[in-house]
Amino acid sequence: MKPRSLTRRLIGGVLLAEFLCAATFSGVAIAHEMHGRRRAFDVMLRGRADSLMGAVQDAEDPDDNVMVDPTELTLPAEDAYAVANPAGRVLGHSPESSPELLAVLESAYPDGYFNFKVAGKSYRALRTPGMRVIDREEKKGAVRCPVTVLYAAPTAHLWHETVEAVRFYVIAGVLLLVVTGLALVWLLRRWLSPLRELAERAGHVSAQAWGFVPPEAALHTRELQPIASSIQKLLHGLRQSFERQRQFTGDAAHELKTSIAVLKSSLQLLSLRPRTVEEYQGGIEEVVVDTERMEDLTERMLALARLEEAPVRGREPVDLALAAQSVAERLRPVAELKQVPIEVTVQNALPVTMPLDDAEILCSNLMMNALQYSSPGSGIAVRVESHAGVTMLLVEDHGEGIPVEALPHVFDRFYRADVSRSRNSGGAGLGLAMCKAIVERCGGTIEIASTPGVGTQVKVTLPAIV
Amino acid sequence: MRVLIVEDETRIAHNVATALREGSGFAVDCSDNGTDGATLAGQGHYDLLLLDLMLPGMDGLGIVRQVRARGDATPILVLTARSERANVIQLLNAGADDYLTKPFDLGELLARVKALIRRGKGVAHPVVAIGRLSINSIEQTVRCDGQLIDLSPTEYRIFEYLIFRPRAIVSKRELLEHLYDYRWEHHSNVIEAHVSNLRKKLRVMGEEATVETLRGRGYRLYAPEKEA
Repeated sequence: MKPRSLTRRLIGGVLLAEFLCAATFSGVAIAHEMHGRRRAFDVMLRGRADSLMGAVQDAEDPDDNVMVDPTELTLPAEDAYAVANPAGRVLGHSPESSPELLAVLESAYPDGYFNFKVAGKSYRALRTPGMRVIDREEKKGAVRCPVTVLYAAPTAHLWHETVEAVRFYVIAGVLLLVVTGLALVWLLRRWLSPLRELAERAGHVSAQAWGFVPPEAALHTRELQPIASSIQKLLHGLRQSFERQRQFTGDAAHELKTSIAVLKSSLQLLSLRPRTVEEYQGGIEEVVVDTERMEDLTERMLALARLEEAPVRGREPVDLALAAQSVAERLRPVAELKQVPIEVTVQNALPVTMPLDDAEILCSNLMMNALQYSSPGSGIAVRVESHAGVTMLLVEDHGEGIPVEALPHVFDRFYRADVSRSRNSGGAGLGLAMCKAIVERCGGTIEIASTPGVGTQVKVTLPAIV
Repeated sequence: MRVLIVEDETRIAHNVATALREGSGFAVDCSDNGTDGATLAGQGHYDLLLLDLMLPGMDGLGIVRQVRARGDATPILVLTARSERANVIQLLNAGADDYLTKPFDLGELLARVKALIRRGKGVAHPVVAIGRLSINSIEQTVRCDGQLIDLSPTEYRIFEYLIFRPRAIVSKRELLEHLYDYRWEHHSNVIEAHVSNLRKKLRVMGEEATVETLRGRGYRLYAPEKEA
């Protein structure tokens, strides 16, 4: 389908409305003028008929009481008239009129005005009764002679005169139509330019070029402002999520490439020259450890991708306290080795809706982090408690803490708070990102507070099942 | 030759260091962060710097800029896990000489390291000839008229270092700095003993070229001018 142009439709609509206006105005003006002229015409007809009455005179003929003597009348030559007596006998008529015209005029029309056409010419006529009082002999008294006066005049000039009179208005109307039409085209183009600009800018957006700055004009137009700002917001959001995705892919590639580089260089080093059995064995053991690390990294990345994309499947209630206790039990050997005891306190803990595996990953990641950054002799306090419809999991350590500038980024994927010990401390920087994904998936929140040198506290809040 | 590796992934650093020591007989120091790496690089003992791009402390690009800003022309090879063109261009423009993307081939890495060191010394071909002597820096052998001279690894390294700096006086200190990494205890008489052995072996072959000792100043490779 051919796209419809808003500008064209608007201009077309307005021009049509203007044209109709002008046409109606001209029509009304013509009708009004015509009406006035017709009335004047009728008055003129009656006037002429009356003056014709004046020409009805006594007749010499005793039978014909009256006769018409038009010699003293000055009537237009194209007019036709006739005077008849009640018996229908024509007493006199216009001398130059054609017989057809007179025949039509004299046919039996009722009294009053009437129209007719003869030989292509329109006529309006008046049939009016008159009375001629004749006082030929005074002693006899006056003789009253009734007559019928018929008078017709052509109407062709009426229309012509009307048009002549209205012509000024019609021409002015047409001129106005043209001028306002042109002005409208110009104005509409001008007024609609923010829309065109917006469309043009939006048209430049592509997967490669995300940049979209709405034109100033569009932002200052009430109707366009919501569209412009929502496009901007949408693109911004998309761009951010796209950037995050790209960042993740880049980071994941970096991690995997580094892991592969370790494996590859280890194996190539072994084959650089012939070695003893012990050297080979040592090398193979190292490679196995490296492979396990890579496996762990891959698993974590896939787990994170799963957590961030798939919605929660089951809605089974899980006891967070139980999960925390079992994870603490599992981590006991590590905790003992690091001399950092983990103490779990449970207070009126209500269950939450979360897959059991996720609950365990959450507890384990938080506790492992706490263990990693705790110095020997300090302790880790884990509390699970419920009140006001929420279940809270608090993990508090007295370790080295997180620098203030790193705090906003700790939930970012592959972010390592302490870069200088990054790789040697083991993690790939995915632990807290996973925690965040798990918690947010279940409608909860996770917060972290830390004071360097004092310790770190992670607070997880989840909606409880009452 | 002495190489500095700045790489935060210690397993990679260890593997590369071992390969450089075993394969090329280089002295190798390692640093796992950019700050220490930049300090070590600043000492100017190295014949090549091998840098990771993403480093804690200061990144590879920062070290490259710092080294070049000092007017230090030591060859720099950068290891990167990101092969984005913009990064590579930026690195090379900042003064790096070459780059390798991870995962790299260890053999290729060694070859590039040797090539860069050679180039850094102004030599294009791995085989350098002086008079009747020819030194192959790939095989790490020295031949006199095609006959192999049996040198110990340290003797070879001293000779190789001097070959790359013909007619220049190289102090004992410089030799120590460029041939031994920080894992070694420095005994200055070690060099003297090796130089003495090297001289003996050259003399046995009837070679006129030899290593001169300039008392209190250092050593110089002496090769008599060929008669026209």
